[in-house]
Amino acid sequence: MALERTHHSDYDPSDDLLLERVRDGNQQAMAAVFDRYGGMVYSVALRVLKDPGQAEDVMQEIFFQLWSKPDAFVQGRGSLCGWLMVLARNRAIDTIRRRKPTDSPDEVVLPCTLASDTERNVLMEKVRVVLKDLPLEQQKSIDLAYFEGLSHSEIAERTGDPLGTVKTRIRLALMGIRKALAA
Amino acid sequence: MTGNQHISQEDLALHALQALSEAESAVVCAHLAQCALCRDELAELSGNVAMIGLGVRQHSVPAGSRQRFLDRVAADASLSEQSAKQEKRKQVLPFPYKAWIPWATAAALAILAISLFVKNTALHQELADASGKVTDLKGQSARAQQVLDLLTSHSAQRVLLTASKTPAEPTGRAIYLADSGSLIFQANNLKLLASDKTYELWVIPAKGKPIPAGLFRSDATGNASVVLPPLHRGVPAKAFGVTIEKAEGSDTPTAPIILLGTTASAAGE
Repeated sequence: MALERTHHSDYDPSDDLLLERVRDGNQQAMAAVFDRYGGMVYSVALRVLKDPGQAEDVMQEIFFQLWSKPDAFVQGRGSLCGWLMVLARNRAIDTIRRRKPTDSPDEVVLPCTLASDTERNVLMEKVRVVLKDLPLEQQKSIDLAYFEGLSHSEIAERTGDPLGTVKTRIRLALMGIRKALAA
Repeated sequence: MTGNQHISQEDLALHALQALSEAESAVVCAHLAQCALCRDELAELSGNVAMIGLGVRQHSVPAGSRQRFLDRVAADASLSEQSAKQEKRKQVLPFPYKAWIPWATAAALAILAISLFVKNTALHQELADASGKVTDLKGQSARAQQVLDLLTSHSAQRVLLTASKTPAEPTGRAIYLADSGSLIFQANNLKLLASDKTYELWVIPAKGKPIPAGLFRSDATGNASVVLPPLHRGVPAKAFGVTIEKAEGSDTPTAPIILLGTTASAAGE
């Protein structure tokens, strides 16, 4: 079944509406979700895995999971975009660590709304600036935790910093992102 | 972070990043299962984690990956549709289909039982007929055996009735059925032969040479018999004769013929 690529605009159907249609088995709606978030999911997986083939596998599995088990994302609880981003990163780390896929996140609440392509693009640019502006120690801790999947004790071992310091840096980094984006 | 205490924001942040050890993560999960406040905090921290992902450099999905995904979705949808149709068929025909199974089985069994009963009765009849025939054959066989025993028994009294005051002469009686090649011969008043001699019975056919029909010796009372010697079928006999031969017998009769009898048909010619 060949589905036309959707060129969504500010008037595109909402994530909730698309998900309702996906639950009804609407392939067109699933294609729209893929078009909306496929690149973002793939980019996160590629950044973690550094392998296009593995990154595509992760992306395919995530969207197929959404198609076959759309109730895994609880509608009304958080953002689909955020949920997909967290899932993409976690599944990529699972691949690196060669472990079974971990459970899907329960709820992911974004600090701002992402109703359109424009808003998403603006937010992405804003996030890049925020991350760049974080103190270097926090950036490093976040990089090791988020992109390499290291635990706090592994980060402490890698950097030589005390465990408590690592914990604090990670918390501060996450809180800094929230604060900057909410402003 | 155990007991009634909430999970620290630091541990929740690490949990959102899956950066806790398994044991620590298990404790957090147990607490989250019963603490809405910590779940809300975790949801927000997870949102912050998601933001890191939005900050990465964006790439387009690989060429063909969209179509591969949509093909997979279409295949899955087709499979689901087929399953749904099958399920629907099951729902449309559930009761009548299943309800008739025991009745159809019972009817088939009834037909089978009747068929077996009829066949059984016919076999019983055939068996009864065969048993009757066997009984008849047994009777005939017993009578034949009795006749045979009488004819061949050495202890049977054999008396030749002749005109009074006539000396006993050697005699023989042959009963011959040419169609089956069956022959029974009985002789009386034969002389006892020396050990190197034997009597030999001959079938003298209408055409051809005499045929050897068995060697025999008389008992102390001069009686002897030859029963069913091996003979060819379908050889009409003109006469029967007995000669005295060497102990091993002979292929041709040696004169004189001490007993000779012609058949009724030969006598009438």
